[in-house]
Formats: sequence, C-alpha cells, structure tokens
Amino acid sequence: MLSDYIGVAPKGDLLLLQKICKKLEGRTFLHVNSTREGGGVAEILHRMIPMLNELGVKTRWEVLEGDEKFYEITKKLHNALQGNAEEITGEMWQYHFEVNRRNLKRLDLEADAVLIHDPQPVPLIDFRKNGKWIWRCHIDVANPDKEVCDYLKKYCEKYDAAVFSVAKFAKAMPIDEFIIPPSIDPLSEKNRELTKEEIDETIERLRIPVDRPIVLQVSRFDRFKDPIGVIEAYRIVKRYNDCILILAGSPATDDPEGEAVLAEVREHAASDPDIHVLLLPPFSDKDINALQRIADVILQKSLKEGFGLTVSEAMWKGKPIIGGATGGIPLQIVHGVTGFLVHSVEGAAFRIRQILTNPAMAKRMGVEGKEYIRNNFLITRQIRDYLSVWYSLENKGKSMLEL
Amino acid sequence: MEESEATESTKSMEATEEVSKAFEFRQCVSILKSTGKKAKSLRELRDILSTSSDACIFHHTYQYFLKGHILEYTNDFAHWAGESLEERALSEQLSNLDPYDFKEMSGVRNNLLKIIDNYLKSFPEPREAIHGDEFYFNESIIVVFPVGVRVENLAQFLIAIKYVDSGCIYYHFYEARYRLGSGFDDFSLWIEQVLGKHELVEKLKAIDPFMHSIEGIREHIVDAVEAEVRKEMEVIQ
Repeated sequence: MLSDYIGVAPKGDLLLLQKICKKLEGRTFLHVNSTREGGGVAEILHRMIPMLNELGVKTRWEVLEGDEKFYEITKKLHNALQGNAEEITGEMWQYHFEVNRRNLKRLDLEADAVLIHDPQPVPLIDFRKNGKWIWRCHIDVANPDKEVCDYLKKYCEKYDAAVFSVAKFAKAMPIDEFIIPPSIDPLSEKNRELTKEEIDETIERLRIPVDRPIVLQVSRFDRFKDPIGVIEAYRIVKRYNDCILILAGSPATDDPEGEAVLAEVREHAASDPDIHVLLLPPFSDKDINALQRIADVILQKSLKEGFGLTVSEAMWKGKPIIGGATGGIPLQIVHGVTGFLVHSVEGAAFRIRQILTNPAMAKRMGVEGKEYIRNNFLITRQIRDYLSVWYSLENKGKSMLEL
Repeated sequence: MEESEATESTKSMEATEEVSKAFEFRQCVSILKSTGKKAKSLRELRDILSTSSDACIFHHTYQYFLKGHILEYTNDFAHWAGESLEERALSEQLSNLDPYDFKEMSGVRNNLLKIIDNYLKSFPEPREAIHGDEFYFNESIIVVFPVGVRVENLAQFLIAIKYVDSGCIYYHFYEARYRLGSGFDDFSLWIEQVLGKHELVEKLKAIDPFMHSIEGIREHIVDAVEAEVRKEMEVIQ
C-alpha cells in the first residue's frame, strides 16, 4: 500500500508515516463515521485503514448505524453547521444521543486513539473508555447556526482535540484544535494517470472537439459555482481567442435548485456550438479525469466554496487554474505562481486570455501547481497529519517532536 | 587490554568520529494548530498580537517560508495587511522586519507592535477585512525526523541537496538560524567546522533568506557548492 505511493507522494511524507507508525507500533487506532460508502471521508478511510495496518498500527473502522429519522436529524445538523436555518428540537437532540447510545451494543470503542468523523457519532464521547479522543469536523463551519454549534460544542469540549479543515472553521474552545486540510488520492480513478487510449475513448464518446484550446469547469450545477459567470467570461474571451468551453458536472441529488440552474445554463449556452454542457452520471470519475487532462485552462469560479478540492484535482493534472477567491480556494492557488485568483467575470476572462496566449507561462504554472499539490494536498499528507496529531497529544506541551 | 581489543576500540572510535563528521539530512513538517482567535481590524490584530503566545508569533513570522508564498511578503502579518486590508505601506513596513535580528521573541513582538502603532498614528484608520478574510492566529507543532541521507564530503552534499525534499532545506536553512542563534545555518556550520571551507561558507551566508522561495534557496546553494566542487576538481596534487 505505502509502496504504491513511492515516486508519487513526497518521500518525506512516506518516511514520516513509517517513522510515526514505528513509534505507535502495536497501538490501536479506531475511526468511527456513519457511512461505509460514498463521500470523501469513506474514500480516505478505505485507503488509510489497510495502509496503517500494514505499517503496524492496529487500525479499525466502525460505522454508526441509524434509521431514517436519525439521518434526517443529522442532515439538518449538517445544514445548520453550514449556515442554513434549521430547527433542531430538544427531542431531536435526544434522539441523536439515543441512537449513539444504542450503537454501543455493537461498537467496540476500546482503542488508544479514537477519531470520530463529523457530527453523527459525536455523542459517543459520553461513552469513552480510554485513549485519546479526537473529533474530526469535515464540514464548512465558518458561519454555523449559533444554537446548533453551541450545543455540539458541549460534546466537543469533552474531546482531547478537534480537527478542522481550514483555520477559519476553528472555534474558541478550551481544547487543542488542529487544522488538517482535505486531500486528493493521486491513485484514485479521478486522479490516476490515464493512457492515451483511455483519454481518446472519453473524447470520442462525449464528442469533444480537440481542434481548439479547451476551457473547462467541473462542478455541480449550483449557483455558488457560478456557471453563468463562466459562460460570460468565455464570451469575453471568445472575442480575442477562439476556444471551446466545457461545463461538466453531475446532478446534485440533494439540491432542489440543481435542475433549475442546469436549465438556466443550457438556455444561456443556447446556439453556441462551442459550449458543451455535460451532465455526467454519478461516478464519472474517469471521464472527469480525462476532461481535465485535455483542458488548456481549468476554472473553479466559485462565489462561495467549502474547500473546493476540484482545484487540487485540476492542478494535479498539471493545468493552470483560475479560481474564485473564496473558501479554501486561496489555500490551493498561489496567485501568479500556480494559477490566478479572480473576483469577477472580467477578471476570469482576462486571466483565461493571459493563459491562452502565454503557453510557456501556462506550462510553468501547471508544473508549479502539480508540485504544490504533491507537497500539500495528497492523501499521504492527510494520514501523516492524523498520526502526528495523535502523537502530539501523547507528547502534550511539546512544540517540537523529534522522531 | 589485548592488542586486538585495542585495535577494535580504535577502529570504533574512528568510525564514531567519521559518523560525527558526516552531515545527516533531517526534515521537518509542521502541524497547524488554531488558537481560536481572529482579528478583523488592525486594532484587533494589534491587541491580540500583544498577548499572543511566542509560539504564535514564531509561526506567523519564522515559519512563513515553510508555506508556498509569493515573494511580495515575508510574514503572515504583512501578507494580511497587503492582501486583506489592502494597506500597501503597512505591508511593506511589516515585510521589512527581519525576525533573525532578535534574540528573543519579545523583540519580534515589540517591533511588530511598534510598526502597527506608528501606522495607526500616521494614516487614516484602515477598513476592516471582509467577512471570512480575518486574520486567524495559529501556532504549529514541528515534527523533525532524519530522512536517511548522510553525506561525508562536498560532492556527496551537492547530489543530496539537489534531491532532498524542500522541508529539509527549510529545516537546515531557515529553522536552523533560530535554533543556532548565531547567524549560521546547519549547512554553513557543517561546511565551516568539518570541511573548513570559509570562502564557501561566506557565499552561503550571503544568500538572503527573505529574497527567495525555498526552491530559490536550493538553486543558490547548488550554484555555490557546484562552483566549489569544480574548483576542487581542478586542483593538481
């Protein structure tokens, strides 16, 4: 497992993983979340569990089981933490706790370190047996519903530490709070190297012309991703540079506005044969990978964004990127070095033109960007950080740890 | 002591000496910790800065070079003043601060405060940062580990320095300045003490840590060491 990443991830990350695992050899590490399949958390756990076991840390993954009512409540919790107005009644909080308590019959919470992912299993802290307990929040909690946030804080403060994805998500709490950004897996279907035949197959099936430069945005059809703004920017560019625009995304099943936005985008793109609006089925990872690899410039012109890992995915393909200066995007784009941060349609258009007319600069940005992602946003770095947090909790008070 | 034992012992001492003369590359990674504090205005920044931990100031100044950055700024405070408050003069003044000028963290803190106070006295009150763009006060935990690369002469050093991770260069070139507190970095110290190459050391010490990215520092070290190796190769014994 670890050896699969040799030559892909930075050697330092792999070495550190090995060395910390040596220190923690034979110790037990438990992860608890609420789903075995789907989503970024499950994706990283599928990779991490066998890797850590191979390196001598006895790592397990338990999944909390709930019913429909429980998931309706936790969906509301999720939305409230992201800033939507939701009412969580006392009875709902009680049910949330009850489901966690019921799970005790089937969950073995005995471990030297326990990492609880997201709000669904957060009450398990009340049944802590031993070890270091860490709460990992994967959600954008920059502007949460205060009442919901305050209630969850009561659980959080019983943990030894909390982990957030971005510094601005952290709250004032009397426990250690670590910042671990999310990551991409360079070996997954969405990011692995593709053969020319694989890329050609996608191009042919999706009928993408490759006779002119390609401008691409991959994202859900959501107003916050500003697909209309992307079309407007493309129209400005088109006056100077002949190019093709691809807007590719999967339908957002949990977003009732998704269809309306898609219809709006189609209407806006109407009659321009050089705009390709691709509604890809879920799990079109290989196609997205191929589209990113044939693009000349990739956009993530979001108006609001959680972390925006599509930026890292694009940069991993060695492409210059233009991103809206919002959410986690500025953490991934070093402005002027690995791509450009923009604040308007006009800004996006100007930067697209700049990249299309300066192939040498575009190439340099692509190379720098890929290296930046390699050093900062690969899954091996995230696993390394989890172990470092555990190790630092065992060496509390030290700001420098020598291995 | 039997002769064979004495020989073994001498051999072992020689080996120890040999090892201590070698340069062992180490690397550090930093794990970010939030203090939970944030500032939306320059006055708030000033107030929190005056009471924040040394570890927090260390992180936002000395460790700035561990991150990918543009060479416009030399620390997070300058970066925020320039990018979020858009106070260019303030960011220039903050960028001009050299943390290695100070022996104690209190010196860095006092100078940062002095720059901000003077600015607040001389210029109109800066606007607040837009929501989400506040200054977030962080600290970090550094994990240091050997990378398994050990060199014994300049030619080996040259090969290694070309290929080690950038975290190695940060640890030996930037972090060492604070750790050693003598104006030396680990590379210069080893080359001075073990190889006795004063001229090369002067060249390395002349590389300005603030004017380059880590990769730029790597290039400058490679150029200086390569020139020295080339010179050595031309010597006729």
